[in-house]
Amino acid sequence: MSEDRRRILNMLAEGKITAEEAEQLLDALTARASVAPEGEPSAGSAIKGDPSALIAALPKYLYVKVVSVQGDNVDVKVPLALVRSGLKLTSLIPPQAMNEINDQMSQHGMSIDFNNLKPEDIDELIEALREMEINVNSADGDNVRVYCA
Amino acid sequence: MKLWPYMLDLSIGPHDRERPIHLWLPLFLLWPPLVVLALLAFVVTIPVDAVLLLVGRPYHRFTLLAYRCFELLAETRGLSVRINADNNHIDMTFY
Repeated sequence: MSEDRRRILNMLAEGKITAEEAEQLLDALTARASVAPEGEPSAGSAIKGDPSALIAALPKYLYVKVVSVQGDNVDVKVPLALVRSGLKLTSLIPPQAMNEINDQMSQHGMSIDFNNLKPEDIDELIEALREMEINVNSADGDNVRVYCA
Repeated sequence: MKLWPYMLDLSIGPHDRERPIHLWLPLFLLWPPLVVLALLAFVVTIPVDAVLLLVGRPYHRFTLLAYRCFELLAETRGLSVRINADNNHIDMTFY
């Protein structure tokens, strides 16, 4: 096992990074190793020094920005860790309470079945969220932007 | 587990006002009651989960649910909301 790989796994074990961040770092490690010139050691020197620069480059926040023509602005910055915790909490709600929540939500026009949200899907969902960007420009000139950075 | 937010930076006021109301709310003062609340919650949930597990009920994760609730509170650090509307503004950031 290379030193970089061991360092990433140690950071994962210590809880400094999440599983998906570790996966991204390992992917980056592999990608850099594959493009390294011949003759150089492979994975062993793929990341020089501390990989914290790579970790810092990962999106940490979900931004929601609303700008209206009337001059009303809304700017919300939500830590992705909060989104992840919220989704994990959803998967722990007792089934009876979850059925009640689903019923209430469907009565209010939101037919989302939270029973389908499995813990193993949450990481994938957050991962997809990192790459998501929504831009809405209305005819009135109002602008809504949702993105991760 | 991360620490709960220790400070709330809150700014409220109309746009045209030179100095809006700016408050630094010391949320760390809520930590001791939160710790007591967490302990009380675990005193209840751990035996409940143990009993549910022993009788073979499929759902026995109330302790984890309580833990995740307190974790969710901790993850609010960094949450920032800024609203400008109708010549008023609210700016709120958890630290």
